[in-house]
Amino acid sequence: MSDLGFPLKDLARRRFQTILTMVGLILCTATTVFLVTFGGSLGFQVSLVTGEKLTSGFSYIFSLFIVIISFLNFLAGVLVTSFLVSTTMSERIRDIGIMKATGCSANSAFSYFLTELSIIIFTSCAAGALLGILARFICISLLNILGFSISQKPVNLWVILLIFVAFALASHILGVRPIRKAIKVKPAEALSPLFQLGTTSGPKGPASSKLGLTFKVAYRSLMRRRSATIQAIICLSVVLALTTVTVAGGMVANQTTQGYVERAIGRDVILVGHPNITRQYVDFLSQFFEAKPMEQINYSSPEYRISEPLISKLNSTIGVHVDPRLILEADVTEVQGTIPIEDPPYILFIGDRRHAQALIIGVDPKQVINDWLIVGRVLNSADVHSAVIGDSLAYEKFDNAMKQSAFILGNKTEIVGVCLDPLNKGYVVYMPIKALSEQPNYNLLFLKVEPSKRSEIIAEIREETGWEPYELNEVLDKHLTFLNRIWSLVMVLPLSSLVTATLCLLSYMMLSITGQQRELGIMRALGAKPKTIMKTIFTQALLIVLASGAIGITVGFAVTWLFLIPEAVVSLTTLASVIEWLVLALSLICLTSLYPALRATKKSIAGVISQP
Amino acid sequence: MKERAVFASSLCKEYRIGDVIIEALKDLNLEVEKGEFISIYGPSGAGKTTLLNLIGGLDKPTSGKIVVFGHDLNAYDEDFLATFRSSYVGFVFQSYNLISTLTALENVAFPIELAGGSSERVEKHSKKLLEMVGLLHRADHLPAQLSGGEQQRVAFARALANDPPLVLVDEPTGNLDLETGLEIVRILDGLKAKGKTIIVTTHDERVMKLANRILCIKNGKIVTANE
Repeated sequence: MSDLGFPLKDLARRRFQTILTMVGLILCTATTVFLVTFGGSLGFQVSLVTGEKLTSGFSYIFSLFIVIISFLNFLAGVLVTSFLVSTTMSERIRDIGIMKATGCSANSAFSYFLTELSIIIFTSCAAGALLGILARFICISLLNILGFSISQKPVNLWVILLIFVAFALASHILGVRPIRKAIKVKPAEALSPLFQLGTTSGPKGPASSKLGLTFKVAYRSLMRRRSATIQAIICLSVVLALTTVTVAGGMVANQTTQGYVERAIGRDVILVGHPNITRQYVDFLSQFFEAKPMEQINYSSPEYRISEPLISKLNSTIGVHVDPRLILEADVTEVQGTIPIEDPPYILFIGDRRHAQALIIGVDPKQVINDWLIVGRVLNSADVHSAVIGDSLAYEKFDNAMKQSAFILGNKTEIVGVCLDPLNKGYVVYMPIKALSEQPNYNLLFLKVEPSKRSEIIAEIREETGWEPYELNEVLDKHLTFLNRIWSLVMVLPLSSLVTATLCLLSYMMLSITGQQRELGIMRALGAKPKTIMKTIFTQALLIVLASGAIGITVGFAVTWLFLIPEAVVSLTTLASVIEWLVLALSLICLTSLYPALRATKKSIAGVISQP
Repeated sequence: MKERAVFASSLCKEYRIGDVIIEALKDLNLEVEKGEFISIYGPSGAGKTTLLNLIGGLDKPTSGKIVVFGHDLNAYDEDFLATFRSSYVGFVFQSYNLISTLTALENVAFPIELAGGSSERVEKHSKKLLEMVGLLHRADHLPAQLSGGEQQRVAFARALANDPPLVLVDEPTGNLDLETGLEIVRILDGLKAKGKTIIVTTHDERVMKLANRILCIKNGKIVTANE
């Protein structure tokens, strides 16, 4: 037989096992490729592509999410491959014994199975990469149909190649181990009906029979196949950690990032100003999800100025909170900062005079209505040449903004805080108005009005100024919808990890049942009803899923809360949804075991107990 | 007239392997009275084990009728057959077929637990049965830690766990040395004395000597019957 003839025929003969292995690896590769390339299109740093959308702070959360999920996906992919190869090899141990007994050398047998492994890995990784690229294309098209403008730029082939090579290499390294182990088994052992790869001679530890016959038999069977059971638990734990991070992380991150945006923009805020200024401000806000060319306007033009009497009148109206602002654009230049190092004592200079055009907003610190997620502090009445700067400006143009200052409009300005703000994609500076203008001079008003007075106030402003007040809720909702849609697309991922987990358990159960076929037949011969057999197999699956769930879900939650999301916002509804999802996932995985269980009960008793 | 334990009429069993159909039993007729000891012999592949499987409800005939203790086995579903096997039949398989993950005591206890015995009764009765076959001291050993003869004796103890009226024994001494085989013959003799209906497939003359009737099966048919 040719070198490729046997492996190809063997793979085709064991179609089910081959497909299981391939689907597991395809899913993991595709998910990783999708995450990294889709992230790249949204501007996440992990893809090595310059950001186009979002701000640095938001991008960081998404990027971290993608890095963690990609790593877990990678781990799950190679572990699942190795595990499925192990289960395949333990089923083929007899064939290997026969091959060796009939004169096939260990090297030839090894190369046959290595070729099979390579065919599976290369085909699956290639198919996975293509599927991932296709998924990215579909998702971006979908987002664009929904009204967002995300470019379908060419994918970074180097990144794809890197993922392909990493998966292929790691899967080979872990997949070869079980093959080597199986090939080393002596022909006499391999042909012995008592020998099974990955089994131990007897159970370890007592299982109380008080828990019932089903539990006792299930527990003993798991313990007897201890190495396969442990492998299955490790695989499922990684996949369930992945599912938990995706579900819990995805839902919590969605809610939290939406919370950050809502805090930064403000809910029920009315914008009052000349139409050119309000449009410009809204366009600056929309940069978060839509790249729009910005108009050049003269912010200090007298026609844009808001009259003092209007501000005073609104200020004196009960139920109205006024936050007057002066917006303009200016160059912000990084000023070198110093960090004293103690041991050995020296001064570390940071900063490189980088500069960027940013939106400057003069505010009255007592009146500010925003409540950003902030590092440092907010402005106070005593501040003059102080500023709170946006996240992108801070992370992209400063080494350590909180230890540095900036030149803004010719003044050295102390940076007292960094805020997460979608405005102008995070290129924004909030300063006290007195640092910008000696006389109060505003061109935009932010109003928070009691709902009962809302229409009355809007009508009054319209009449007095001739300007149409703009309700920021509209643009805020667009932000939230955008974030929600991105997370929703990312949330498709638990489905793929769920399928991977299901495949893992299915494969383990198939192996386990194949090994127990005869004993299940004996149990039936002694009077066990099909229901008892199903219960025994289901109990085995349940024990594995519970053990894996306990490990995987704990790790998943720990990763989510400790690394993924700062100041997580978790409502009871979100928590309930996360729990619902995880329970659903665990139940689905457990229910999978019913299929091989059902198959086991359908087999002829006489047939299975007469097997060697 | 004695009551009938087993009644088989025009019994046929075919197996399909690919396109090939193998006729394991052809138009076989058999009647066994309660308390009778039947010994069956015949060449390998003649259909002896197939016949035991059909009588024990482990398999269904392709055609024909089989009634055991008044139950027409063709008419029942798998759930009822399981209850039937648990209550009426004790099997001793040629290759012992002990559950490898359970100890000797747990193997004997298994059918009693399935039948729903209380845990106290299960333990007491299982120990009594192991004592009867002289293996109480091996109660906590796994099958892999027992010799062939010991495994066969555990299999006998397990077959008697629910005190079935019918005991089906497939080649009980085939894999054992002469001396160990003799112990099995003694156990069978004891069962006969207890009035159990016993059907044994064997080539061992010591076992045949215990039988009320000896049947020979060839090519799926009973060809001779010696009283």
